[in-house]
Amino acid sequence: MTDSAGVEAWKEQTTAFDRIQSVASAVSQPQPASHIAAEAHVAENTARNHLERLVELNILLKSNQDGTALYAPDPLHTRVQMLRDLLEEHDRDGLIQLKTSLQSQTEDWQSQYDVEAPSELRDRAAETETASQTREIRNTASDWELVLYRLSIVEDAIENYNTYSEDFQVSA
Amino acid sequence: MGGSSDSYDSAIASHRALHSIKQELERHPIVIEARGFPAGEFAEVVADLATERWGVDTDNPTLTVRWFAGESQDARPEFSFHYNDAERDLGWHHHEQNHVEGWGHFQERTGTSAYSYEAYTFPSENPAGLVWEVMSNLSSRI
Repeated sequence: MTDSAGVEAWKEQTTAFDRIQSVASAVSQPQPASHIAAEAHVAENTARNHLERLVELNILLKSNQDGTALYAPDPLHTRVQMLRDLLEEHDRDGLIQLKTSLQSQTEDWQSQYDVEAPSELRDRAAETETASQTREIRNTASDWELVLYRLSIVEDAIENYNTYSEDFQVSA
Repeated sequence: MGGSSDSYDSAIASHRALHSIKQELERHPIVIEARGFPAGEFAEVVADLATERWGVDTDNPTLTVRWFAGESQDARPEFSFHYNDAERDLGWHHHEQNHVEGWGHFQERTGTSAYSYEAYTFPSENPAGLVWEVMSNLSSRI
């Protein structure tokens, strides 16, 4: 089967390693090398080599299911990556401002929808009258979950600011 | 945090997808800049496009991408790749809706008129490759 124009462009602009990393870093559940190779348009043997390298770099986790190796993003790597981005973009005062802004956003949603958590808001989607209302509620619940996740990392960055900023300066 | 199984967190999975989308957009030759939006929240990715490289001169061409990985590990992701410029408003979406059969669809409108819809089948549900498919579709559409 010939590749689509989109896949052709992807292959032209990136390396096989780039594509394997991008695909494997975004799988929502552990996947075998064959699946990741197909999604990344890379030969399976090449994919397996790159996946093993990404495991060695602590970017992916490897598990085993019925004799088949499965690969998934390492949650710790995801967290450290976000911490690093935050510390590159903000000093301590900036992080505190960001924390306040994220907290205000969640409080606004609590007040607007009269619920305490995004899971409660998602339950409301079953009670809406129109498809657009359902969509709006589901989008807001999704945004809310992302804000809570980001808030947890911002709080971590503030609490350990001195340690992390020194560590990241050394490694930069 | 979101999600319903012990080891799955929908917020983390969605964040990873958005990060991967931003990374792939930054690799695309038409993209000037891709950033998390709103600033600080990173609930979606917004990319400024240099559509003149496709021979299309217009004001403020942007692509906005949303991605929700799904409430459980096995759930289908909900996402949209939506393009706007001074004249056009169109996008490829994958979520529950009642305009066409299935989740995948293309929607487009002119000005403030109502959207028109057509069914669209996404070739994958992995965000990385979809960026390139959608950008290729976009170059044909505009």
